[in-house]
Amino acid sequence: MRGERLFIAGMLAPAFVVLALFYAYPTLQNLLVSFTDLSLLGLKRGGNWVGLDNYREFLTGPEFRHVLFNTVVWLTALSVALRLLMGLGIALLLDSALLRRWRLSTIAKVAVLMPWATPPIVAVVVWRWMLEPQNGIVNAVLRNLHIVDDPVAFFADLRTVWPSVVMVIVWNTVPIVAVSLLASLQSIPDELNEAAALDGASRLQQFRYITLPFLMPTIVVLTLMSVFWTFNNFVYVWLATGAGPGTFTNVLATEIYIKAFVDFRLGYSSAVGIVMALVMAGFGVAYYRFVAPRELKEGM
Amino acid sequence: MRNLLVKAAALVIAAAIAIGPAWAQGTVNLTFRFNDTEEKELRAALDQFEKQNPGIKVTLQRIGWRDARDQYLREAAVGQGPDVVHVAQVWVKEIGQAGAALPLNDLVKSSPPGSGFTDFMAQELAQTKDGKIFGLPWTTDTWAMVYRTDLLKEAGIDKLPDTWTQLHDDSAQVKKRTGKTGFGFPAGGSSSGAIWFLANFYWWSNGKAMVVQKPDGTYGMNLTVADIADCMHYFKSFLTEGHNPTSNLSASDAHDPAILQALVTGQQAMAAMPPNTYKQVLEMYTAANPGKPLPFVSGPFPKGSVTRSSMIGGRMLVINPNSKHPQEAWKLVKFLASEPIFTQYYTTQFPAQRSLLKNVNWSPELKGFAEQLGYARTWGPYSDGPAPIGAMWNATGRAFSAALSGQRSEQDAAQELLQAVSKLMQNRAQ
Repeated sequence: MRGERLFIAGMLAPAFVVLALFYAYPTLQNLLVSFTDLSLLGLKRGGNWVGLDNYREFLTGPEFRHVLFNTVVWLTALSVALRLLMGLGIALLLDSALLRRWRLSTIAKVAVLMPWATPPIVAVVVWRWMLEPQNGIVNAVLRNLHIVDDPVAFFADLRTVWPSVVMVIVWNTVPIVAVSLLASLQSIPDELNEAAALDGASRLQQFRYITLPFLMPTIVVLTLMSVFWTFNNFVYVWLATGAGPGTFTNVLATEIYIKAFVDFRLGYSSAVGIVMALVMAGFGVAYYRFVAPRELKEGM
Repeated sequence: MRNLLVKAAALVIAAAIAIGPAWAQGTVNLTFRFNDTEEKELRAALDQFEKQNPGIKVTLQRIGWRDARDQYLREAAVGQGPDVVHVAQVWVKEIGQAGAALPLNDLVKSSPPGSGFTDFMAQELAQTKDGKIFGLPWTTDTWAMVYRTDLLKEAGIDKLPDTWTQLHDDSAQVKKRTGKTGFGFPAGGSSSGAIWFLANFYWWSNGKAMVVQKPDGTYGMNLTVADIADCMHYFKSFLTEGHNPTSNLSASDAHDPAILQALVTGQQAMAAMPPNTYKQVLEMYTAANPGKPLPFVSGPFPKGSVTRSSMIGGRMLVINPNSKHPQEAWKLVKFLASEPIFTQYYTTQFPAQRSLLKNVNWSPELKGFAEQLGYARTWGPYSDGPAPIGAMWNATGRAFSAALSGQRSEQDAAQELLQAVSKLMQNRAQ
């Protein structure tokens, strides 16, 4: 028995060491820095202990609510909801008999996967060019069709900046949702829909009472995973708008970057990082509470 | 025969192993990190340096200005980084005080650069109060106004605007008479945005400044909420009245392609920029219209209630204290500051040495920059004061962008900027 335990401990030790080195140590170090006024200009001399000042400043400051709202509502909730809805629509289309009949199924799948194969940086740059006010193709089309007289600064106008950012995120990430849902759709036995049709169920009823319940476990997993991927995302917002105009699109991740590498306040930035990690931990708890047990059950 | 070949190969390998390290030890490898776009030209200059100094090899690294400072500070703090670094003049003191720049006093004394250190402009930005020299001024410049003469003529404007009010009115007139953009300036708020310069030039010309040194030697702000809001209101009026397109809210740099292209294609009559950007505009116009006379003229910034103003800006070269070869690095720094660099390679910039600057042949299109230099001032108290320039620059860009885009009222944005800068000054003063 003892030997067995030692064997298990020995097998787990390497993973434990890696986790301690690459997760626990940086996290603890970051936590310590968050209680100091460490500056990028003072890395050699270190920071002074300021206790909870950085947390107090961030949580009671004017930017906190704005940044949190942007992160939760615009960046995460809206983009995740759109991603799921569009992903479901695309998956249903890819699974339709029509595409199969016209032998377009494979081409459509490849076309859908193309945006996913595009790295986020490239996706943002491409969209920035397309939406560029003077030379972008979108503005050219809008002006030629006389929809607008003056070019629209999509990434600088308060009315269009968030929809534009969300559009880029959704464009780049919807394929993985669509493909995952397609895999689930294809696992639904045809007999169920055929039997329901014989009993007089409409297409909508078949979707509501057969398809959707089958897809629900996948949708729950995708929702939580999408929240993880999106909530702490930095690339899309920073490259598209630089958190502007003003601070209009500032989110938690860009706030961390600005405070650390523009204002050089590493201590304050670490405190924002800890707050963000705590929120993410909340999502993690939700995942282990609601999703992991179900996956475990299905696996067994 | 086969045995002979094997023996010969073994001999060659043994000789290579024996000689290799000795040969490698004889070569000093330096790294120079450069932030401008003239990579090809600088590489050619470094090839020349290597020819003159057979024992030294230089690797050229390139990084954008936006990331240059924080990347270098991170590296220097852990004993890494390039040997020679290209930095903005206003960064040098804080980099030096952070322990990320080698004091050059001994090197300057034992092997003076050019016509001596005193020949260099902006020395005060390279030295701390205790006399330590942390950088060698490399290039100098100032911003000036740039005009399309054909568009001004078409709009019925026969002389360049002399005051900020005239600039506004002429800009509106260009839009009204020609339908083209008047004064098209970048109104975005990135951390290195151009609105920082325009706002400061406006304040300085009206006898104000974000940072001043008081008679008792301490530093403070010489701006009120009303001063800041007035400046925001002035620049916002160009956008709200439509003579600077709102699409310029997404432009942050003077060299934004949208602005350069609008100038070159005659869609915009007025702009503000540094000389290297202006030279780029002239080159683009010449390439697009070979043989045609240049329809451009430069002029000084408009007058405020006190004077007209802009900054003496430029770049410096810094040696990393972690460099294993400071003597060779200094040799490279001196070479980079020599006259042929500015006449043959790095021709978009002006040298920081007064003796070399005197020899610059200002073309008619560049006369405005020469005139503006007479009104230019250094960042002085901004650099000496307690708040980091980068943080003030970022706060100003954000606040102006918030006001100009309509995210905040001018009053609120001005209030926030004032508080942000005051806080920065207090944090560092403590």
